[in-house]
Amino acid sequence: MNLVQAGNARAFELLYDRHGSAGFSLAYRMVGNRVTAEDISQEAFLSIWRSRHRYQADRGSVRTWVLGIVHHRAIDALRRNLVHERRRSSAEGIEERHEAPERERTDVEAARREEASHVRSALGQLPDEQSRVIELAYFGGFSHSQIAEMLEMPIGTVKGRMRLGLDKLRKGLKEKVG
Amino acid sequence: MSVERHQMHEEDVGAYLLYALSDVEQQRFEAHLEECAVCQDEVSRLRPAVNALPRAVYPVSPPPSLKASLMAEVARDVCERDEAAGVARRPGAFARARRRLDGVGGAAFGRLRPTVAWVSASLVLLVGAVSGAAGLYAVNDATRDDESSRTVVAQVDKTRLPFGSGSLVVPAGSQEGTVLRVHGMPELESDSVYQVWARRDGEVISQSLFHVGENGDGAAAVTEDLQDVDAVMVTRESAGGAKAPSEKPVLSVKL
Repeated sequence: MNLVQAGNARAFELLYDRHGSAGFSLAYRMVGNRVTAEDISQEAFLSIWRSRHRYQADRGSVRTWVLGIVHHRAIDALRRNLVHERRRSSAEGIEERHEAPERERTDVEAARREEASHVRSALGQLPDEQSRVIELAYFGGFSHSQIAEMLEMPIGTVKGRMRLGLDKLRKGLKEKVG
Repeated sequence: MSVERHQMHEEDVGAYLLYALSDVEQQRFEAHLEECAVCQDEVSRLRPAVNALPRAVYPVSPPPSLKASLMAEVARDVCERDEAAGVARRPGAFARARRRLDGVGGAAFGRLRPTVAWVSASLVLLVGAVSGAAGLYAVNDATRDDESSRTVVAQVDKTRLPFGSGSLVVPAGSQEGTVLRVHGMPELESDSVYQVWARRDGEVISQSLFHVGENGDGAAAVTEDLQDVDAVMVTRESAGGAKAPSEKPVLSVKL
């Protein structure tokens, strides 16, 4: 990362090789469209390159930083365009988008799939009403008031479920690691 | 901080971490967060759960064109930085390629999705750009851009600005002011500012104040007639500027 911060394009290329797939996958999961996901990923990684001096190792891993930026870009895209419009009437738009499983070509890909299963399993342990609001917010880009409207429940209930769900998820992840 | 204010915000923690608050609510919560240790602890406690969420996504391979167009943009950035710093000799390799492509009706350089030809040209240039970037910070010379001006690369105090670089275009005859361009400079706190100075016969004269953007790039006016000026320098000063430099220059251009 030091080389990336020094402006070394080759080091940045390696960073993309390592995290590009995760970034693209997250964008695709959120917007459900490969072309839009590609645009979001490009914008996000360019932003990472151009704001590379902002990364601080003591505040988290490179992967967390990269995925955070991709997530922000995808949220911006969702909120400024009409992607939401076709999904607003129902929450089904944020259901997991599966492509045909790709052949696991490398150990890294296998590890990523295992990691995904691990987190999904922890998510699966949450009560439905908690995982629902978390997924609508994080992957769907909906605000708490939009979620309250969609699920026909008070805003306070939505906020409470978000907090409780995250707490339970945190504990679930800890148990699985332990 | 009152208990009431904390109670008003404590249920916002989850929504805040999930980016589900409105802009106004987010600003209010962040203001509250600055002064509420309980909420700070709660945010720190729950953040790992949010950080884990993107890892729940099964990997989908991006199209190869994404990497190609991304690295082409990066190559362009590197070339422009090199050219601004005077590393590339006139005219720059990337500029030449750009003109060539424009001349044959190639894709516009501003597009995110280049044509195959554009990508190919850019990737070829990337090889040169990468090797050029490695030597960027070691260069300190003057290059003649054209018949009427020359570019002088700044010397940077790498102990204080490890990623900084800068250059000054000096017009021929030095009868007019010019612009100092900088790259990779750290953003300063809101109570500080970069200040540009010109030195003539031992006298140091303030020129302008500037901030850098998110990417560390910035430009500042040098208003002094450069005749007999032997150096243009940059220091970090309190907001509003100083009457005299308060520190040794972090960046200087020797003329």
